Amino acid sequence: MSLNVIYGGLELGFIYGIMALGLYISFKIMNIPDLTTDGSFTLGLAVSAVIANQNHTWLGILFAFLAGCCAGLVTGFLQTKLRIHPVLAGIISMCGLYSINLMILGSPNVNVQRQSRLFTSVDNFFRSMGLDFFGRHSAKLVVSFLAVSVCVVVMIWFFRTHFGFCLRATGNNEYMVRASSINVDVSKMVALMLSNGLIALSGGLIAQYQGYADISSGNGILVVGLASVIIGEAIFGKRSVAVGLISAIAGSVLYRFIITWVINSGIFTAQVIRLITALIVAFALSIPAFKYYITRFKIKHGGDQSA
Amino acid sequence: MLKVNNVTKVFSKGTVNEHTALNNLSLELKDGDFVTIVGSNGAGKSTLFNAICGTFWCDRGSIVLDNKDITYLKEHKRAKDIGRVFQDTMKGTAPDMTIEENLALAYSKGRTRIFQSAVNEKMRRFFREQLARYDMGLEDRLKNKVGLLSGGQRQVVTLLMCTLAVPKLLLLDEHTAALDPATAEKVMEITKQIVSENNITTMMITHNISQALTTGNRTIMMDSGEIILDIPADERENMTREDLLNMYSMKKSQALDNDRILFS
Repeated sequence: MSLNVIYGGLELGFIYGIMALGLYISFKIMNIPDLTTDGSFTLGLAVSAVIANQNHTWLGILFAFLAGCCAGLVTGFLQTKLRIHPVLAGIISMCGLYSINLMILGSPNVNVQRQSRLFTSVDNFFRSMGLDFFGRHSAKLVVSFLAVSVCVVVMIWFFRTHFGFCLRATGNNEYMVRASSINVDVSKMVALMLSNGLIALSGGLIAQYQGYADISSGNGILVVGLASVIIGEAIFGKRSVAVGLISAIAGSVLYRFIITWVINSGIFTAQVIRLITALIVAFALSIPAFKYYITRFKIKHGGDQSA
Repeated sequence: MLKVNNVTKVFSKGTVNEHTALNNLSLELKDGDFVTIVGSNGAGKSTLFNAICGTFWCDRGSIVLDNKDITYLKEHKRAKDIGRVFQDTMKGTAPDMTIEENLALAYSKGRTRIFQSAVNEKMRRFFREQLARYDMGLEDRLKNKVGLLSGGQRQVVTLLMCTLAVPKLLLLDEHTAALDPATAEKVMEITKQIVSENNITTMMITHNISQALTTGNRTIMMDSGEIILDIPADERENMTREDLLNMYSMKKSQALDNDRILFS
C-alpha cells in the first residue's frame, strides 16, 4: 500500500468517523434504530456545497451541522410527541429529506468550485506557512483529524455531564428514567439532534473533500456507519462510552482500509463494495446467534445424558 | 401530606373490557405516615401508585401532594417529589451504567446545572459512606455495572437512589417480593432505617400480611379499586394475621349480601 493510499484511507476514515460517532450515539447509547442517516448525510453534503459556492465555506460547515440537528429534531418529534415507531419515523424523515436535498442542490449534482473548497484554502495557508509536511495531503489529513478529534472530545465531555448521564440512562432503562425526574422525550430529541448533526457535519466535510455533492451520496451510508461501529466494537470490546466513541472512529478508519484492500486486490470491482459492506454487517450482527447455535450443538453432541 | 380525593379510573372505557381500576377512592396521609397496603391481585394497589406518580391521569378526582395540586402534573415533574421502588429489580436502575453513575444521576435529580460534571470525588466519598452503612459489600464496587449485581443489591441501590435527594413521598411496590427470604428481611430492615431517619411519608404494598401489620403506623386493605379497611396504629397493635383475614371475609360477604338485595 503506497503512502498516498494510507493517507487517503486515514482522511476518509476520520471524516466518516464523525458519522460513525453519530450512529454510535443513536444505535448504541440511545438504543434507537434511527434511519434518518441517509437523508441527513446528504443534507449536510448539499448545505455545505451550496453555501461554499456562495463563498462562505466555513459557514457552510456550521450550517450543515445545524441542518442535521433540525432533521434529527423532526425524527425525534415524530418518535416521541407523535408516537410513531422509531424505524418508521426515521424512514419518513429520510423520504422527506430527499425532496428537501434536491431543492437545496437545485440539480442532482453540484460541483464545489475549487477556490471555495475548505481544503483548498487550508492547503494554501499551510503552503504559505511552510507546514505542508504530508505533501498535497497536508490539509486533508490535518483538517480531518482535527475535526474528528474535536467532535470526539466534545462528545466524551458531554456524556460525562449530568445531562449526558440522563441521555445514557434513557437509552438504558426507560422505566427508571420515567420514574426519575428526567424528561424522556427531551432526552431522545436532543440525542437524535446531536447524532444527525454529526452525521450531516460528516457529509458537509465530504462535499468539501470530494469537491461535489450528489443527491445519491447518502444511499446506504447508514450501513457503512454501522459497519464502522461494529468493527470498532469487535476490536475494543464493550466498555465505557469514551472507549466506545473512540472505537467507532477506529472502526471507520479500519473499514476504509478493508475496502481499499478489497478493491486493490483485484478480486472485486468497486461495484460490489456495498454488497461486501452489507455482508460484513450482517455477519457481525449475527455473531451472537452463531455463538448460541454452537453452544447448543456442543451440549447435544458432547453432553452426558446418563448422569 | 398526600390527599387523594374521590379518584376514579376506568380502563378501556366503552368496550367489553371496561374495567374500573379505582372507584371513587379517597385517602389522606399525614406527614411522616408509613402506610402498608394489602389486597388481592387486581385490587388496584399498583394502579393507585400509578395514579399518584402520574403514569396516567385520573378520569375524576384530584391528587394533592404537600398542598400542591398534582392532578395534571406530568410524570417526570412529579418525580422530583416522589420516589418509587418496583418489585422488578431491573426497573429501578440503568444496568449498563456503574453504581456511582446511577447514584450520581439520582443525587443530582432536579438540579438545574445540567452541564456540570456528573460525578466528582466528593460525591464518590458520600456514596461510599452511604453504601457502607448497609453492609451489602457495595462500597467497594462503585465502578461496577449495576447489571452485574444480585437482585437484593440492586434493590438497595434503587432504594438509596430514591432517597438520596429526600422525596416527599416514597412508594414501595412489593419491593422485596422478588428476593429470597433472608435478603428480603435485610432489604426491609434497610427500608425501615432509611424511612425513619429521614421521616419520609411512605406507602408500601405487600402480600405478606404479618409484615403489613408490623411495619409502619397504619394498614389499609384494598378491593375492587376501593379501600375496604383502614386500620390505625392503636387498633393494629394486637391484631393477628387471622383477625385481618376474618375482617376481610366479613367485608366481602357484606358486599355480596348487598348485591343479593340489589338483584333479588
